[in-house]
Amino acid sequence: MVPQEIVTLLQVFLFPGFLFLFCLAFFSDWMDRKLVAKFQNRYGPLYTGPKGILQPVADFFKLLAKEDIIPIAADKTVFSVVPMLVLALSMTPLFLIPMIDYSALIWFEGDLIVIMFITTLVIVAMFMGAWASTNRFSTIGGMRVGLQMLGYEIPMTIAMIGPAISSKSLSVSGIVQSQAVGIWYVITQPLGFAVALICLLAHLQRVPFDVPEAESEIVAGWLVEFSGKKLALLKLSKNFELVLAGSLLVSLFLGGPLGFWLPHPSVYFFLKLIVCIFILSNLRALFARFRIDQVLEGAWKYLTPLALLQIILVVI
Amino acid sequence: MAMERELLKSLAKKPATLCYPSEKATPVEGIRAKVAWDIEKCIGCGLCPQICPSKAIELTGKGSEAEITYYLDRCLFCGECVDVCPTKTIKTTSEFELAFTSRTEATIHYKRSKPSSNRKEKGC
Amino acid sequence: MATRIPFGPQHPALKEPINFMCEVSDEKVLSVRPRLGYIHRGVEKLAENRTYNQNLYLIERICGICAFAHVTCFSQAVEEILNIEIPSRAKYIRTILAEMERIQNHFLWLGDVGHEMGFNTLFMYSWRDRELVLQLIENISGKRVNYAMNTIGGVRRDITSMIMPSLKEGLNHLEERAKYYTEMCTKDPTVLRRTVGVGMLSPSDALELCAVGPTIRASGIPRDVRADDPYAAYEEIPFKVITYDGRDVASRLMVRLDEVLESISIIRYALDNLPNGDVRVRVPRRVPKGEAVSLVEAPRGEDLHYVRADGTEKPVRVKVRAPTLANIPTLCKMLIGENIADIPVVIAGIDPCIACAERLVFVDTATRKRWMWNKQELRKYATKWYRKK
Repeated sequence: MVPQEIVTLLQVFLFPGFLFLFCLAFFSDWMDRKLVAKFQNRYGPLYTGPKGILQPVADFFKLLAKEDIIPIAADKTVFSVVPMLVLALSMTPLFLIPMIDYSALIWFEGDLIVIMFITTLVIVAMFMGAWASTNRFSTIGGMRVGLQMLGYEIPMTIAMIGPAISSKSLSVSGIVQSQAVGIWYVITQPLGFAVALICLLAHLQRVPFDVPEAESEIVAGWLVEFSGKKLALLKLSKNFELVLAGSLLVSLFLGGPLGFWLPHPSVYFFLKLIVCIFILSNLRALFARFRIDQVLEGAWKYLTPLALLQIILVVI
Repeated sequence: MAMERELLKSLAKKPATLCYPSEKATPVEGIRAKVAWDIEKCIGCGLCPQICPSKAIELTGKGSEAEITYYLDRCLFCGECVDVCPTKTIKTTSEFELAFTSRTEATIHYKRSKPSSNRKEKGC
Repeated sequence: MATRIPFGPQHPALKEPINFMCEVSDEKVLSVRPRLGYIHRGVEKLAENRTYNQNLYLIERICGICAFAHVTCFSQAVEEILNIEIPSRAKYIRTILAEMERIQNHFLWLGDVGHEMGFNTLFMYSWRDRELVLQLIENISGKRVNYAMNTIGGVRRDITSMIMPSLKEGLNHLEERAKYYTEMCTKDPTVLRRTVGVGMLSPSDALELCAVGPTIRASGIPRDVRADDPYAAYEEIPFKVITYDGRDVASRLMVRLDEVLESISIIRYALDNLPNGDVRVRVPRRVPKGEAVSLVEAPRGEDLHYVRADGTEKPVRVKVRAPTLANIPTLCKMLIGENIADIPVVIAGIDPCIACAERLVFVDTATRKRWMWNKQELRKYATKWYRKK
């Protein structure tokens, strides 16, 4: 019998810990790119690995090898810390999400709140990075990061509270377990699902909400001064965010790793994650970018009332 | 939202782009691409270097001794030389992949072979 | 607090280098100062050292997209000096190619403006469909971008009856796609949100600042060289001048998409009524003394060429006024009061082609001083230079 400590260590570092998460992040990035390419009637990544599946890994290592420039005017400490901070912050919530079992690797009552808190912290870190790089474009990008957060954060939180109220648990694992006995919340709370989906899209800063890094407007927004290793870490953390968004939707609304006939719950989780990424990619290919005022207006006019309406329906 | 149907349709469709090195577009009939000389037919009239808008053709020698140097990197592929040639020495080929790593590779000398009448095309 | 944001010369939204120094407060643009001169190529001067025939290929390369419009304009000017009438079949073929160029330009523009508003799918789709018209052009001329079709005295290749069916089939497909985009752009909420009411240009401003092309037509003023001063075969072909009253980017979008449909009908008419005969007349190498101004409605607007000949093989002066140059003052007007986020869309709205419009700026590299010459200074210099010669 292997001691429990070693099992836990293996879980943290291999499966479903770091290694698995890295693979998942690269895979979801590849899938997103491939899907968007397919939607746009082109090939997408093709050469690295079978069907280009290793392209995100190759990109990551390529960026690692590139020259790392810190602007003279930048606040060097903050500027260097931010990429690591963003990466760490975007990875942490993934440990709280049940992927291979009904309960996560680490779970405690209230971890949903922690996840929400950390997703907000990521935004704050991004804002700090934008501010520290002191570029005109990144300053505007940073302002937009903050403004956009003011728009989507509240409806997202409200929408995520819906499942928590229904399951009377503030833990993601608890919500998943309550869906095991009951019904998936996407059926009882379709509005909440839609609101959460749109808000997560905004959190991921993807089209139509890629305002903070709008390439054709403000070059790369808050990312503009980051290069080399820093950019690699930031890009990687974006992939983690994508996984996080997908797995939050899966756990809160689609029943997490719940299934009946497949050999292992993680397979189920994986399939659902792919469905979520499919939806996110589809939305990314479908829209033009909103303007920042339109994002805020939409979030406050439509998303927040809808999320509140969902809560009212749940409570009744 | 108006594009959703088109998006889903293109999921099933073959991509519009080509996987270039393995899959190549077929040149159309009458494409204007690289030109080639059948140097044995050349009478050295000197019309082609004269009409060439980008000075891509250089003629050395006179009459039936004339030889041609063709600077592919300068060529605009307008086909004026093909039109102007009185003896139909110049022909348009359908070769369109004309990337070179050095300038000398893109310079083609058309030399007359002395004994036989075979055309020799050689990079310098 | 007003911040100055440089928009260009290196910017992902700009395909060519131009600089707009925007003074912004919050996200609103207060003032704009354009600066040209990054890719001046000296085409006009080069043209003086080449024969007329060689100049055709130089002029064709002023612009990669409206190449045919430029070269038509130039050959028309030279034909006017030579005082020759080109065969009517050549006129029709010129019209067909000019309209095909308009279609490909408008599809390209649609993709470009889609990209500026972050709608990359629209960009990919419209460029995919642009490929269709490029193939049609390739079928006719053997080239995709710079067609090398025009020559002084006509066109160099004929449209044979062999390619006629494929042209008509291609046009049907193009029409279907253009209709699809029209429907899509009028329905898609995000596209509407990014274009309606953005980059307003009132008709009086448009007239005062001499806007040209789809930009002025989107402000409700029917100004089109094809109708006002017909060239090629436009006199004989019935067509509508498309105008919209919206004054914004959305109207410019609709004007262009409708123009694509109109172009398709022009091409159909021209193909059906293609006169028989030669496609070119032989012209002398030497052009007699004289001067001519020629106007062509390029896809982007009115294109003007001025040629002066002195009886030799080479022109004395070639002057080009590309449509983008005429639209830059209107662009600066439109940008004031817009959001930063809308700058790319508004700039893309006039369909800028910077290299065509490029003008010279003097820069002293030692002192980093920049200056421009006005007309008098230029004239003084020119007189001095020519006297010395």
